[in-house]
Amino acid sequence: MDRSNPVTKILRGLALLAIGLFFLFPLFWVALMSFQTNEQILRIPPSIVFEPTLSNYWALISGRLVSTAGVLEIKFMGNLWNSVFLSTTSVALALILGVPAAYAFARFRFRLSEDIAFTLLSFRFAPPLLVLLPLSLYFQDIGLTDTYVGLIWVYQLIALPLILWIVRGYFEDISPDIEHAYRIDGHSWWKTFTKIALPLARPGIAAAALLSFIFCWNNFIFALILASAGKQPVTVGALAFVTASGIQYGQIAAAVILSILPTLLLALYAQRYLVEGLSLGAVKG
Amino acid sequence: MTTKQKDTIDRFLKGGMSRREMIERLGRMGIGAAAGAYILNQGMTEALAQEFNWKAHEGKTINLLLNKHPYADAMIANLENFKSLTGMNVTYDVFPEDVYFDKVAAALSSRSSQYDAFMTGAYQVWQYGPAGWVEDLNEYIQDSDQTAPNYAWDDMLEGIRKSTAWSGVPGAELGGEDSKQWALPWGFELNSISYNRRIFDQLKVEPAKDLPELVELAKKITDSDAGVYGIGVRGSRSWATIHPGYLSAFANYGAKDLTVQDGMLKAAMNSPEAKEMTALWVKMIQESGPKNWATYTWYQVGTDLGAGASAMIYDADILGYFMNGGDNKEAGNLAYSAFTPKPGAEAPTPNVWIWSLAMSTFGGQKDATWYFMQWASGTDHALFGARKMDFVNPVRQSVWKDEEFRSRIAKSYPGYIEQFEASSPGSKIYFTPQPLFQTVTTDWAAALQKMVANEIPVDEGLDELAGNIDRQLKAAGLG
Repeated sequence: MDRSNPVTKILRGLALLAIGLFFLFPLFWVALMSFQTNEQILRIPPSIVFEPTLSNYWALISGRLVSTAGVLEIKFMGNLWNSVFLSTTSVALALILGVPAAYAFARFRFRLSEDIAFTLLSFRFAPPLLVLLPLSLYFQDIGLTDTYVGLIWVYQLIALPLILWIVRGYFEDISPDIEHAYRIDGHSWWKTFTKIALPLARPGIAAAALLSFIFCWNNFIFALILASAGKQPVTVGALAFVTASGIQYGQIAAAVILSILPTLLLALYAQRYLVEGLSLGAVKG
Repeated sequence: MTTKQKDTIDRFLKGGMSRREMIERLGRMGIGAAAGAYILNQGMTEALAQEFNWKAHEGKTINLLLNKHPYADAMIANLENFKSLTGMNVTYDVFPEDVYFDKVAAALSSRSSQYDAFMTGAYQVWQYGPAGWVEDLNEYIQDSDQTAPNYAWDDMLEGIRKSTAWSGVPGAELGGEDSKQWALPWGFELNSISYNRRIFDQLKVEPAKDLPELVELAKKITDSDAGVYGIGVRGSRSWATIHPGYLSAFANYGAKDLTVQDGMLKAAMNSPEAKEMTALWVKMIQESGPKNWATYTWYQVGTDLGAGASAMIYDADILGYFMNGGDNKEAGNLAYSAFTPKPGAEAPTPNVWIWSLAMSTFGGQKDATWYFMQWASGTDHALFGARKMDFVNPVRQSVWKDEEFRSRIAKSYPGYIEQFEASSPGSKIYFTPQPLFQTVTTDWAAALQKMVANEIPVDEGLDELAGNIDRQLKAAGLG
């Protein structure tokens, strides 16, 4: 097909527009909803012409929601902070533990290595509730119920296997010859790891970290079962706008926009690493 | 509170002046109506303290698990009075309703001592009670050392009180012999018709008197040029689809979900009465229900009524109450009507949902928890909530007789009290209590979905459902 043909160009443009609209329209609609009152949102038929309001964002930020039941306190910003804190620290811990482990699994052959690696991956197979109920009994006994430490520990079930398996594949793709040459120069194993292996694997690590962050961010059930209302992430907090006396659609939309912002910004920033990391890690040979 | 204010409140509480006189006097002291109510409640709190040692657990802290609901909001707004009455501290965790029962089930099944008391529905205690997760509250209610003399347990509406008590024997009558009081009723909803008076006036129609008439009326509205659909009812694949309008009408037709034969349960939802009523119900949804009926829950049914997308709902009366306020487009246009579905039947038989308070078996300070529970379910708090907040419907008869509450409702929710008084005598839980409640009702909702989608005729669908339920009851050793 002649790519410079103007008809082809127009068709390509239209196809891209259609695909873009299809995928972005829900997000666009939610963004519009976040600037409308409930009454505007529930108009029949719906309209994209309206007088915008910042009241939904203000309700979330100020923590006061005016509803049929009067003025209610909303702890959404607290939920947002919990999500940032839990996801960031969980991924940081998983990187500290997972990257050296991934390197070890990729470079060294030791007894039961495959079994251990598979066991870590198997954490991803188990339905969360199956793990959580017995875990909550143990957490009570050792005093970890309703603590950030306990939650960060449990979040390793999400982050650690992802980081371990993605980064392991990445290390395996890097030729060990470069590391051997560096070792022959008299450098230690640790130095080889930090100066050669880690920089080469950086795109893969960034991709794994970003994916882990997104999975941690979207987690719903762990904090719900193991922690009190004060330690809930946005995924649980956003449901607070669904009340017996009505659904606050505008505030839900504003909450959605605020809660996707951190991951969106992070994804945009790390986009280059993400594509490079995932594609390189996926190709063997 | 100043000495003058205190004297005024004391005189009112001792019967020395009328409520109007007290409010006027407080007004002259610069106290507005809302502040006056709070101070009055404080005065009543102090009066309570003179008759009973409310300070017995001073210094203790209890922790509550609450659903985000106007009932919880009303309690939180009045909590300072409890603290000053008892010297106790109360902490609480509030979770949204969507995840609330998952949180409760997880806390109880893991024997967590984190929460001393929690909000629950009456159906849920059929699981929690026999499992030993909640305390039988009879021993506290009957203990005069633990319960204030003016608690007035008998003031609670009888059907509601009994609906939260059960012996634990599958199929045994609620509130019957050997019943344990698994929870204290807190606030409740019964199911009747809430409708949009504006649309009804525009179309010159009146609320239907029975189910066949309702089917016709809903179709007439849907077919009209009003641009709305006739009737909103729930349809998701959940127990919540069965318990409001559907079970209320089902019971009115004399149908039963299960029968007990020689101590064993047998499915009865395919009786001739059940088939007659269900056929009308299915027809009504097909002709005049919402387009996405199979996804409809409390929220969609309420939102459509409040936004003027539906002309009426057959659902909880308090759903119609909530939609008549706030920033809903149709706020102020809604009206209420008691409903007797079976032609010729004497009175409505609304099934009810009761938000209740239950005490966790695993809490470490049960006596102190009881002090909170009796205060929260007591008359004074019920009056405060009913007069000043949305603690509606109250479970206490004395609150329904309270003039201030009645005039507030009559002013802002015309017809609500009349609807309640006509519906209330026959209102109770019409389900047969048994541990497979969730499974039975979810399968029932799934069967309704198939009937509405014309995948199976009503007669055949109910026969198939009954056979399926019988098999499950047998497998569980209940049938």
